Amino acid sequence: MPVFHIDDEPVEFHPGEKILSAALRNGKKIPHYCYHPGMSIVATCRICVVDIVDLGNGRPAPKLQTACSVDAAEGMKIETMNQKVEEGRKLVNEFLLINHPLDCPICDQSGECTLQDYSFEYGSGKSEMDYSKRVYGWRDIGTFVSLERNRCIQCSRCDRFTREITGTNEFGMFNRGHELTVDTYTDRPMTNKFQGNMADICPVGAITEKEFRFKRRVWKLKKNRSICTGCSTGCNVTIEHDRNEVFRLKPHENQNVNKWWMCDEGRLTYQIMNERKTRINRPLGRVGQNLQDISWEEAYRAIAERISEMEPTGNEVIALTDTHASNEELFLIKKLLKDGFLSDNVFCPLPKWEQRESEFFINTLITTDKTPNRAGALALKIKGDPGNVEVKNTIDGELKVVIVLGNPFETEHEIQQKIKPAQLVVHIGAYHNCWSEIADVVLPGQYYSEKKVTFTNKMQHVQATDIVVQALRRSRPEWQIIVELAQSLGHKYSFSNINQVFAEMAGETKAFSGISFDQIGDQGMKLTQTFKDTGMKLVKAPA
Amino acid sequence: MAEETLVLFKNIRNPKYSKSLEGYKKAGGYHTLKKVFGMKPEEVVQTVKDSGVRGRGGAGFPTGLKWSFMPKGTGKPSYLIANADESEPGTCKDRELMLKDPHLFLEGMMIGCYAVGCHHGYIYIRGEFFPAIKSLNTAVEELYADGLLGPDPLGSGFHLDLTIHSGAGAYICGEESALLDSLEGKRGQPRVKPPFPAVSGFNGCPTSVNNVETLACMPFILGDDGVDAFKSFGPQNNSGTHLVSLSGHVKKPGVYELRMDVNMKDIIYGIGGGIRNGKKLKGVIPGGSSSSVMTADEVDVLYNFDELAKIDTMLGSSAMMVFDEDTDVVQLLHRITRFYAHESCGQCTPCREGTHWSRNIIRDFLNGNGSDEKLRRLDRVGGNMLGTTLCALGDAAALPIQSFVKKFPDDFRKYYANK
Amino acid sequence: MFSKEIQNQVNNLLSRYPFKQNALIPILLLAQKENNGWLTEEWMQHVADCCEVPLTHVEGVVTFYTMFRLKPPGKYHLQVCTCVPCCLVGGTELLEYTEKKLNTHAGYTTGDGLFSIEEMECIGACSYAPAMIVNEDYHEQVTIEKMGKLIDKLSK
Repeated sequence: MPVFHIDDEPVEFHPGEKILSAALRNGKKIPHYCYHPGMSIVATCRICVVDIVDLGNGRPAPKLQTACSVDAAEGMKIETMNQKVEEGRKLVNEFLLINHPLDCPICDQSGECTLQDYSFEYGSGKSEMDYSKRVYGWRDIGTFVSLERNRCIQCSRCDRFTREITGTNEFGMFNRGHELTVDTYTDRPMTNKFQGNMADICPVGAITEKEFRFKRRVWKLKKNRSICTGCSTGCNVTIEHDRNEVFRLKPHENQNVNKWWMCDEGRLTYQIMNERKTRINRPLGRVGQNLQDISWEEAYRAIAERISEMEPTGNEVIALTDTHASNEELFLIKKLLKDGFLSDNVFCPLPKWEQRESEFFINTLITTDKTPNRAGALALKIKGDPGNVEVKNTIDGELKVVIVLGNPFETEHEIQQKIKPAQLVVHIGAYHNCWSEIADVVLPGQYYSEKKVTFTNKMQHVQATDIVVQALRRSRPEWQIIVELAQSLGHKYSFSNINQVFAEMAGETKAFSGISFDQIGDQGMKLTQTFKDTGMKLVKAPA
Repeated sequence: MAEETLVLFKNIRNPKYSKSLEGYKKAGGYHTLKKVFGMKPEEVVQTVKDSGVRGRGGAGFPTGLKWSFMPKGTGKPSYLIANADESEPGTCKDRELMLKDPHLFLEGMMIGCYAVGCHHGYIYIRGEFFPAIKSLNTAVEELYADGLLGPDPLGSGFHLDLTIHSGAGAYICGEESALLDSLEGKRGQPRVKPPFPAVSGFNGCPTSVNNVETLACMPFILGDDGVDAFKSFGPQNNSGTHLVSLSGHVKKPGVYELRMDVNMKDIIYGIGGGIRNGKKLKGVIPGGSSSSVMTADEVDVLYNFDELAKIDTMLGSSAMMVFDEDTDVVQLLHRITRFYAHESCGQCTPCREGTHWSRNIIRDFLNGNGSDEKLRRLDRVGGNMLGTTLCALGDAAALPIQSFVKKFPDDFRKYYANK
Repeated sequence: MFSKEIQNQVNNLLSRYPFKQNALIPILLLAQKENNGWLTEEWMQHVADCCEVPLTHVEGVVTFYTMFRLKPPGKYHLQVCTCVPCCLVGGTELLEYTEKKLNTHAGYTTGDGLFSIEEMECIGACSYAPAMIVNEDYHEQVTIEKMGKLIDKLSK
């Protein structure tokens, strides 16, 4: 790759790439507001000025240039910290601040505001503007975000977002000059399903998320990389939390999955992470009509004893799982049934689903499959069909042992009614649901923000979650529960961490062969052997 | 004593001239176009290059060079756009041409279209020019009726359409990339350059944007012995005649066609008849409101591109605004700055904030709240717009501020000295 | 919404550009003329449909250009230039006189709906300053006397 120099350090660039883009890719710091790698270049904020001391032909540029709009060139030499540049930034910064309300103490953006950061780093710290500032009213502009135009620095990212990214055109630039506003026209509300991104890309506190308004100062938030499990897209996110409470999900760039974006529905999944009312707090055992607290040991012992009493054959045992279960959990439950009962009766719901097609990439992020691991279930060959025909046929016979993972078939009363009379129903899950109501033993699992597991998204990328918040004291990750259950049944399962489970899975499943947990990393990995999902239907996104 | 040199105004100054197609043809019109259709487009561009004609819109960029940048064989259509968005304060020459001799300009436009391989030219005219729009519409209708526009003008086989496109009131649309956005049906906000219009202009196609007067020079330049005659009208690099819009406190304001080697003094005192009401000259804004102001002591200079550049001002659109000793230059600067604050498109930071802020500071002087500190600040805020914006409007707003403060500091001080 | 004659002009405009959007500004001007000199949201939506652009785009364009009006002008729209050359030779005084005579301010319409005043930036008649435009007609070298007579004439 060709090379140019920023402050005497070499930086590689793709031919045709702009200086700023190459610099940021290589971890160099150049301040910017209006530039966003996902949108067109307007070069209007003027803060990204650099001094090109050599254009690559031995001659300097006559004046400071905006790094976002100038092509990098072989041999180019750029200075970003000399006095000329500092003065250039300082003057732009001064202009940006003269009409800014400086209401940082009550602004949600404070702490992650680039205007604040750059003013601190490059500003002069005093103002010579002694006239009244431009004032506009606060505006409720949509379901997910609100607009405080006084803070706006007219970078037009939001305008470009609704034009270029969502194509919904709710935002526009209105009036001109000093009165230029970037907002919705009159009181027409926004309609797009990706409004949260506008709060993300707004460099200041002009557009903020309603969900997050006044809840927590951002510098108190701890951040962990993970993925959104709101649907099978698996957008990469950072989960932001404080004192074991999750406050918001923010998209994390992954060019193979979600680029820079995620949908509002996905952002709202943070609420489930804080859900306490319906959580299963501790192992429970049925005594008569009621579920009573028991210890883990008691639970495992009771299950083992009942099973050894019943001596079930393979077709008297069945496991039901949803596709919220991770790859490892699906693998282990399948393994348990095979090793323990010579059964391959593991079923999950696999309804047909729709994938949107659209000229706007962002629309393809939304699917009708609201579970994160359908592809994982398919890769691991968990049984299932769109009408749940096979599972219904299988449960027609007498059932002795049923293990339910999560909340599968929640709307299938027929299945639930047939499972109910089974002699032993074990429910493993994080939340109470119709299965815990009929279960004999309930084992508290963990939500995906509390454990480290992998999911396979609709593009068949394997991606990992992380332990973000501390789980309930008496809960355990589902994979560990299955392992322990197997051990209590007398099987020598020696998995002590998720990496080992993954390794075993990769060894036994072609789709995952050759992948190790550590390799997955930030960007995820494509399955080694991919397949066609026949349940998917492509549909045109609604205009 | 300076006199007019009639090239562009040859017909207009003839009292018997009729601006109809018939009248223009009778005066020898569309003769050059026929000759041009016999040349190769490259030859036309070369001839224009040889003539040394520089754009009359304000920037003074060599027209032939501009045309030679137009890429060939891109598979996209090429466009020639006439910039008739005459809106630089002080400038009213293009309106004169379009009103009184539209066919001269249209012939030039057609020559330009042929040179750059454009089959559909657009004339972007400012919306307020209702009479000029009517005049052009009539002329274009005449051309279509005559077959000079359409599939086969003068039997050349060069299909050519012209469309008159009305703007809707925005000074910034005189900037070529803003003009293109406006022509495409958008807000007229200047674009990032590069790419320049020659590479990606109207709807992303190769485009050349040329001023009306520049195009009106073409029938002469491409006429017989045109290049030599054209070059003889001025010193090197400043060839041709130019239309000077003379306004302000002169006895005889008007649009005059002058050679490029006329002294400004002769224009003011000769052609313009001197300062009205027997007053003395205080200063001149030489090239539209964007140019740096000149004091009375500086006007002994040739009125052309290079000579004015030497004294740190510019010829711009050859719009000379003369003001006398009674003029309150702070008021005048306030009016200029108000113009830029009103016309800034607002997209880029220094201009959006700076034009308004500097206007506020000048108003402080007028309201009796001036000070040395504010004078220094005005100069600084102006300077901070200079060279820091996306388009040239920031410079245009900054240059008058800086030059007024530098050249007439006492006038500012008068406002607060007796406090 | 357009009358038949104007619709023909609109169709002709649409045919003269590579993209329908390109004709937006001229068509908006026609729409404004059709609606007695100003634009409503209905008209903007109609033009947006003609040019196949989103309504917000049209609104962005309309608020950018000074010739588009979002409230009705008077029957006679007096556009007085006070920009640099006009200001040098009495444009500002002319505007003040007009405002006083009509007892209203620039940007407003008289109570009887007859006159509206607009303070103009350079209208390109600098050598004939002070100048003004009444609806679509230029008036040049306007003196206060001329202005008074004109208003009297139009008032009748």
